[in-house]
Amino acid sequence: MTDGTGTTKERENMLPVVQCMGLTKTYGRKIALNQIYLNLERGRIIGLLGPNGSGKTTLIKIINGLLRPTAGEVLINGQKPGVDTKLRISYLPERTYLQPGMKVVELVQYFQDFYPDFRMDRAYDMLARLQIPPQERLKNLSKGTKEKVQLIMVMSRDADLYILDEPIAGVDPAARDYILHTIVSNYNHCGSILLSTHLISDVENILDEVVFIKYGSIVLQAGAEQIRQNEHKSVDRFFREVFAC
Amino acid sequence: MLGKLMKYEWKATWKLLVSANALTLVMTILAWCMVKMLDRAGYSSFRMMDFVAVMVLLTYVGSMFAVCIGTTIFLIHRFYTSTYGDQGYLLHTLPVDAHHIILAKLFVSAAWIIINIVFIYLSVIFLFASSGEIFRSMMSGMADAIEYLGAGKITAFTVIMTLFAFLFSVFAKVLKVGACISLGQLSSNHKLMLSFVWYVAIYLVEQMLQGVYFAVQILFRERITHTPQYTSYFDHQWETTLLAGIISCVIFYLLTWYVMSRKLNLE
Repeated sequence: MTDGTGTTKERENMLPVVQCMGLTKTYGRKIALNQIYLNLERGRIIGLLGPNGSGKTTLIKIINGLLRPTAGEVLINGQKPGVDTKLRISYLPERTYLQPGMKVVELVQYFQDFYPDFRMDRAYDMLARLQIPPQERLKNLSKGTKEKVQLIMVMSRDADLYILDEPIAGVDPAARDYILHTIVSNYNHCGSILLSTHLISDVENILDEVVFIKYGSIVLQAGAEQIRQNEHKSVDRFFREVFAC
Repeated sequence: MLGKLMKYEWKATWKLLVSANALTLVMTILAWCMVKMLDRAGYSSFRMMDFVAVMVLLTYVGSMFAVCIGTTIFLIHRFYTSTYGDQGYLLHTLPVDAHHIILAKLFVSAAWIIINIVFIYLSVIFLFASSGEIFRSMMSGMADAIEYLGAGKITAFTVIMTLFAFLFSVFAKVLKVGACISLGQLSSNHKLMLSFVWYVAIYLVEQMLQGVYFAVQILFRERITHTPQYTSYFDHQWETTLLAGIISCVIFYLLTWYVMSRKLNLE
């Protein structure tokens, strides 16, 4: 598909991977997101950081098309959330979405069937390294192992945008390093990662950029290195100051 | 993508529903043995084994109800958890259209309901057929019923259209449950309770419309023939059933699609 200005893919690559324009979400009188304007660029690992209830998950769900905004608009690769954007986003929710009766091998086949960018060899390689038997039923796995299986499925895709909602919240500190290593070494480097967490010290070293969100509003968007240089402190330390109670 | 969604919907449901039909089969065989036993003993004398046989037959009837109700509850639960529960996070992030999601669930659920109905009908017929006396009276009752419904009007066309009417009424029932569960999602709280309220409200509206339709039909017929009379089902009643089924399908389908594609609000 080409025209005078180049391919569709090339045109998309010139756009931010995510554009939020006046994004607002309310639940009755409660404002979950308040007039958010945000652009996320390609090829970056971005931390979406904020305390519990700040609106991180709401924003993520809207980007994934699981929630409809009350006002404003979100575009992924210049498109509204839909079938095309779901082909490009690899999403890890904060909860377990697996069918308990399924075997790991069936889950791999499920992802292979629906996502053209799924890499089965990569999935089996990660499963083997974590010693997760493919023939095991998901209901027989521990909560932490299920989360690892989900992460493996999500990171086995060559997506434009990986959205990971609290990927390390439910696992022990020893496993966190492995998970972060898995994320960094398996993502499509032409794409971006939007990583939501409140465990900042654990993820700080892998972040290129951070977005601070508070009471549904973006209070800061800056490079991680820029914060360290300007503020002379770690992102974690700076976060604690910004969100001090 | 519709085929793939149907494949996984089938995989997620077949074990329990095959078990339900296996239960029907086992209970039918047991009940058949008991009918044979009662037949041999004669219905006039009553012994301890006859009591056991009657209890088995009652269990058979109970199990048939359990299979019907259990299948319905299972399919409703499956729709809710896989669409609006935690598993909905995976389903709604698949690169598939809401139409495909609804159709996949509709076809697989309807298939299981029809399979169950066919199994239960076959079981009952088999059971009655095992007792010569009961079978003869059943066949004569059926002949009377067909005569009453208008035997002379039965053609291949009416039989096919009646089957279509049945099919659409099954689709409408499945879609109604889907629409009610979806409408319940429009609320921030008490989503399941609201789904139930929607179901009751829709049921009442359906009953009202049905009442109005029959009243109008009777009045209309009285004005033409001056006598209220029953006309053959096979004459034109199937048309009403088919039309009502198609209209219900369209309304419930669109409601479900609207919520899924425009108002999705996963917790």
